[in-house]
Amino acid sequence: MKDSQQSEQIEELKQEEQSENEVVASPAPVTVRTYKAKGRVFGMSVAVLAIWAALYIVSSAIPALPVPGMAGMITINAIMTAISGMVLGPAAAIANAAGGIVSMILFPYGFSAGPLGFLTVTMGGLVAGLLMANKWVLAAIFELLIIGSWFVNPQSWQTGMWMVPLPYSAVALLVIVIKPLRDWVRKSIITQHKVWMWPAIFLMCTTGHAAEFLTTNTMVNWMFNLSWQYWVPTLPYWIMVDTVVILASTIVGVGVMIGLKKARLPLFTSTLEQ
Amino acid sequence: MMNVDLKARSSPLRVLDGRTKLIALAVIFVLVLLFSHPAYIIGLLAFVMIVWVVAKLPFQMLKDLMSYFLVIAIIILVVQIFFYPGTTNLIKISKPLPAIGFSGFITLEGIVFGIAMVLRLVVIMIVAPLMVMTTPLPELMLALVKLKVPYRFAFIMTTALSLLPSIQNRASIIQQAQLCRGISYDSGGNFINKLKASVSLMIPLILGAFRDSQTLEVAMNSRAFGAPTRRTFLLDSHFSTVDIIIIALSLLALIGGIALRIQGFGTY
Repeated sequence: MKDSQQSEQIEELKQEEQSENEVVASPAPVTVRTYKAKGRVFGMSVAVLAIWAALYIVSSAIPALPVPGMAGMITINAIMTAISGMVLGPAAAIANAAGGIVSMILFPYGFSAGPLGFLTVTMGGLVAGLLMANKWVLAAIFELLIIGSWFVNPQSWQTGMWMVPLPYSAVALLVIVIKPLRDWVRKSIITQHKVWMWPAIFLMCTTGHAAEFLTTNTMVNWMFNLSWQYWVPTLPYWIMVDTVVILASTIVGVGVMIGLKKARLPLFTSTLEQ
Repeated sequence: MMNVDLKARSSPLRVLDGRTKLIALAVIFVLVLLFSHPAYIIGLLAFVMIVWVVAKLPFQMLKDLMSYFLVIAIIILVVQIFFYPGTTNLIKISKPLPAIGFSGFITLEGIVFGIAMVLRLVVIMIVAPLMVMTTPLPELMLALVKLKVPYRFAFIMTTALSLLPSIQNRASIIQQAQLCRGISYDSGGNFINKLKASVSLMIPLILGAFRDSQTLEVAMNSRAFGAPTRRTFLLDSHFSTVDIIIIALSLLALIGGIALRIQGFGTY
């Protein structure tokens, strides 16, 4: 009697073991999109984007350069926009837009385009971010849209107006479209090459800043109908201002990229490496 | 560095829903871009000024805003007065200078168009603070969410706002530390020094803030940010009868403005 009970128990144990093994051997469950994925935008955490937006707002309160002929002054947020694309990738557009909307409300002197001023910094982050993510076709489309919107305005067909978007927008377009140049810029930034990182970041900042300033110029031109007599003579002056902003962005950008990587903090290029 | 004041002023406009104010703001913005005749823009400006008085906002703020935009206003006026292609000659300045596109005369059309563009700038610049100064920012964010702006975007905005004081505090600490190291933030310094000062502030500020973002991310994940549940809000807003009337009037004004523009009115 005892033997039969023992054999039954053994049988039950064997069956249990078998069923456990079957569970282990069953095909892996289909991976579902977890809620954590919703906490990310283009690979960057929403927390990082919120922090960037806050930094952007604070930097809008720090006047850097008083600029005659422009609404108020250039604030440090111009530097933030130029470097945002390589730090955050395409998500920079969202962080810049959020920061831009709030800072436009709190510190309106940096935005000559009024309530739509946030679009300028959004475009700056978007084009540079798409380039960094190697979505070059989209980046080129947006850059061409920005350049095109300048030329759609009848004012832009006046004498010499074709020169206004040229200096840096042409450089930006070349960086986006020419594959070896684009790859070299991205690789130098991702690998943080000691020497080539500097010119690469300069070109990346040029792309971001060019998208921003041309959007601003186009919007101001549509709103206030400024003719070539304003744009063409002041062109050398604007080139100088843009060069200063891009150079400052390059210095800050190199420091930030090296610092973030060394401290193993969230960085868009890290997601690319993975 | 300026400190941010996130408190909305007490004003009769505060009772209005944030969405109502956003819609009214958008309508005024579109209308001011639609018209280029000074009479129409003066009408809009008068309306905005009346609302400014009703909202009990300080006129000092208007003066401050104007001082920021004075230079660009003067440039817009001068460019239009001298170079707008007009036909009614008023004052002869010089011989025609075709190389710079100057007819030699100041024309009536140039003056009128220049005034219209300056008035447009004034309306554009004062209309946004009018709405924002009478709406607490959390209500503004709620209004954006209710207008179907993606929640993650509204979250980024609200979180950025709530982080502002701590980041401003961090920035001033870094400034103090850099001052101890001999870096001058004095506005009277030369340009290179200003640039150095900006760099010495920005890099530690960004790195420190990114370090904080990791804590924030852990907190968000532990609260299951993005979990598929129906989100509720501490604040809630509903349209009152006044809101509905204002929205209806705004939309009517927009349709009327577009109709006028199509009929050929509103331009000079």
